[in-house]
Amino acid sequence: MHQSKSKPESRLAAITFFAKTHPGDVCGSNGLPLTPNSIAILGRAQKLKELKHPHLCQYLDFVRGKHERTIVVSEYFGTTLQDKSRSVLIEPLVVRIFYQIVCALKALTEHNLVVHNLEPKHVLLDDCDNVKLFNYGLYHMTRCGDYVPFPIGNVRYMSPERFLGSKNNIKSDIWSLGMIVAELLLQTKFWPNLKISNIARKILSFCQTNNVFERIAREHNCLERYEQINGELRILIENCLSVTPAKRPLPTDLFTHEVFSKDIEAYAYTEPPKPTILLYRCPLEQIYYWWQLAGGDVQGELKKEGLIRSEAPILAIPQLVCLNGKIVGPKRSQSYLMDDRVVPLKLNNLYEKLCNQPAMAYFPLIHSPKFPHNFGAGMEQLPLVIRERDIEYQFYRVRLFSRLLKGYPYTSEMIRKEAAKDIPPYLRGPIWSCLLDVIPIGSYGKIDKFTPTSTDRQIEVDIPRCHQYDELLSSPEGHCKLKRLLKAWVTAHPQYVYWQGLDSLTAPFLYLNFNNEELAFLSLYKFIPKYLQWFFLKDNSAIIKEYLSKFSQLTAFHEPLLAKHLASINFIPELFAIPWFLTMFSHVFPLHKIMHLWDKLMLGDSSYPLYIGIAILKQLKNTLLASGFNECILLFSDLPDIVMESCVFESQKMYECTPKSVSHRFHVLRETPLTEFDLTPDVTLSHLQAEMCPRISANDFTSLLHYAPTDMCALDLRSAVEFSHVRVPHSINVPFVAAQLAEPRLDALGVSQLVEMLQGRIVICMSNKHEHEFSKFLVECGVQRVCVLHKGFNILHTIEPNILISN
Amino acid sequence: MATTARSGGNASGSSAQRPNGTQQNKNCQFKLVLLGESAVGKSSLVLRFVKGQFHEYQESTIGAAFLTQTLCIEDTVVKFEIWDTAGQERYHSLAPMYYRGAQAAIVVYDIQNQDSFQRAKTWVKELHKQASPNIVIALAGNKADLSNIRVVEYEEAKQYAEENGLLFMETSAKTGMNVNDIFLAIAKKLPKNDGANNQGAPAGRRLNDNENNRQTNNCCK
Repeated sequence: MHQSKSKPESRLAAITFFAKTHPGDVCGSNGLPLTPNSIAILGRAQKLKELKHPHLCQYLDFVRGKHERTIVVSEYFGTTLQDKSRSVLIEPLVVRIFYQIVCALKALTEHNLVVHNLEPKHVLLDDCDNVKLFNYGLYHMTRCGDYVPFPIGNVRYMSPERFLGSKNNIKSDIWSLGMIVAELLLQTKFWPNLKISNIARKILSFCQTNNVFERIAREHNCLERYEQINGELRILIENCLSVTPAKRPLPTDLFTHEVFSKDIEAYAYTEPPKPTILLYRCPLEQIYYWWQLAGGDVQGELKKEGLIRSEAPILAIPQLVCLNGKIVGPKRSQSYLMDDRVVPLKLNNLYEKLCNQPAMAYFPLIHSPKFPHNFGAGMEQLPLVIRERDIEYQFYRVRLFSRLLKGYPYTSEMIRKEAAKDIPPYLRGPIWSCLLDVIPIGSYGKIDKFTPTSTDRQIEVDIPRCHQYDELLSSPEGHCKLKRLLKAWVTAHPQYVYWQGLDSLTAPFLYLNFNNEELAFLSLYKFIPKYLQWFFLKDNSAIIKEYLSKFSQLTAFHEPLLAKHLASINFIPELFAIPWFLTMFSHVFPLHKIMHLWDKLMLGDSSYPLYIGIAILKQLKNTLLASGFNECILLFSDLPDIVMESCVFESQKMYECTPKSVSHRFHVLRETPLTEFDLTPDVTLSHLQAEMCPRISANDFTSLLHYAPTDMCALDLRSAVEFSHVRVPHSINVPFVAAQLAEPRLDALGVSQLVEMLQGRIVICMSNKHEHEFSKFLVECGVQRVCVLHKGFNILHTIEPNILISN
Repeated sequence: MATTARSGGNASGSSAQRPNGTQQNKNCQFKLVLLGESAVGKSSLVLRFVKGQFHEYQESTIGAAFLTQTLCIEDTVVKFEIWDTAGQERYHSLAPMYYRGAQAAIVVYDIQNQDSFQRAKTWVKELHKQASPNIVIALAGNKADLSNIRVVEYEEAKQYAEENGLLFMETSAKTGMNVNDIFLAIAKKLPKNDGANNQGAPAGRRLNDNENNRQTNNCCK
């Protein structure tokens, strides 16, 4: 499968403009600074990325530059109608263009969008004479032009009512369409030598005219040509150019019109031949993503073309600043003016990087016996940040996951397996939702997100404080979406309430699924019961207390000396860990760190977050051990830089080596009921709080004994006599003598080589009494992984088949 | 939550560094708690006081945050151990853990928000009922930089504060107005001459001492 080596043409382009700057130091009514317009644009524009239609250029990215610069990246190729119409177009082609623009407008109306800058420059034609509209979202993203300092739309094609201030009427676009087609049919450019103001006057003067089309034809001496136009078509254009918008047809009216339907084959979209370059068969948004990884830099390209010019800041210093904020000084540089040039982004670099990839990498056959192909094998050992920036690796991963996601939920298992290696950032949102077993069924739309509730005030004050360093989440659009999500979640859970922190918890899902609120919602909906079951009850104190007590126990299990120290200075998790767990760390880390943390969290069960907490303590271990209460709590009030990669690695390690029952909590969503050999509900909160070491279930004990006897060491605290009657194989008898525990020294127990025997194993204390006292002693001696057999030695008598040795 | 927000660390802590015998400088430590409706600017006040900073988008506080700051008044070095609490009503059950044993409290409201002022009054009542009897309470009307759109009148709050024996100032964490002053006013009002707050006798600060007495009546409040 070798690809033809034809040169790749560009399919992407960028345009740039400046958003309006807010004057000086102005604050909104809430005392907060006004959101920069470029951020507002960024938020509104996101929705445009979702428009995928044969007659619309796909939007790919929106970038903020310095000084409110906004850069828009979108699909772009072929010829503009402006260029194409330099030579005469035959009537059937004109009708085809007419029809296809109608199709585009119809699609936009379905999304409640208007164009308002329709002109030949924004109509692109491919080799098959298919039309694609370009730059049609400018009016929407700038909120009817409010966010930019320049007017939107070309006067020549602007309808009379637009001059009078009317907006958001698709009929105004129909006028523009009428003008474009009229020009093509009359084969002339209207008013080529008039100044803008005169054109405007001209158009407004049409208000007195019955037949605009005819009048234009007359004025341009084309009456003859006008009369030659097919009657039906001519009337249609005359209708489009009705002075009263109400008289103009809607896109849907035009779409089914006789003029087109009689020869629809000739006018409808022609499927272009499949591109020979495999890269071009991939979705454009993926191509753009790889283009960036291959070194593509939009700002750089714009600089090369002179659209972004940097000037010495000193030249912009004002000579005088008045107290009212007015500035007197050098004129605004020319480089700040609107320049509507379109800059193509060259794909050569990307193409060269990927042209030798086999077809199997582009289109992995996940169900063929040849799968898995070892694309990217060996790279798994590289640090995650390197993998995430490697073009080839991300190419393999994105292609593989795209395929797997298409097969979801049937590919759940494969997705889980691949996600355990790493999750490509580009597809993180949908992959997380798969890991959370989300299946969208349209339920989100039915949830009431608008009726005012008593929680609204709290939500409203929390949102403007939630991850506001992020451009999307700080945009007005982001605020609306977050509010809707939170209100929907509260409405959908009458048994729960909004706790501060739910906003932070929702933010990562919104960030990843900005254009798919339902997916964001369902991910949150599934995430909470999985990791935070009952945390959002109005009275959650029992749940939180159990959680934090388990956290203390597990800290003692993995980090005995640290646990001992923290206990001695009374540094309890209640004082620092509530925001950690209630928000699954989303309140304490910035988004980019949460991403990597949750990548692993999603693969673990409800106990995983506890290990993350311990990994954080572990990372700060030396500081903590050397600090008193005040220093410790100060450290956590301003959490220092935590290295995520090692935090993730450590938590994973602890998660894997801890028997499930050791992390047992009663307040979790349970799939299988507990048996008498599990941790039974008679272990109450007061037990948890009183016992330093966690309990292990008889079930886990037996499976350790069967499958991993070298990973465990059972200490039998019963008397030597009892031990000699019946015992667990390989267990060590350490008859309990209270006096030996006076000082935390292992050698006081008088067992030779005890340290070596306990090293690196799960140490299980068994007795029918005293085991908690004894286990605490071990922790104080610094022994790791100490736990206590639940229900004591006696439970082992009832296990079948028998595991005991008796004499 | 039957736990303590402050341990004994202080007895052997920093105040012990003071050389015995040379009595020119007295060292005092006080536990201070900030209470008030959410988004009134509690964390911002502390941030301004402790670090001289202001963040427009100060994150919400979950649970509580802890910071310290030292002031000098004449010959006394006063160290504030500040517990900045979560404002949301739901976190109320955690509050006793923080105000128990506190020698000072700043109850904050937002001058643009009447409800937050009512909430402040509730806090004051609760402190009078549940906190140490000698607690010094200050009322802070925050966001004073927005006084052109105020809802709570200065006089109204002032009168309320006088009636209830509270220190009162309108503050602005954003401009820094009155922020140091309110902490200073509290520091001045706190008793510093008896041994209670000095080295070696941290009775007033030990939560556990108080807690045992109080545990029964505030598990639900």
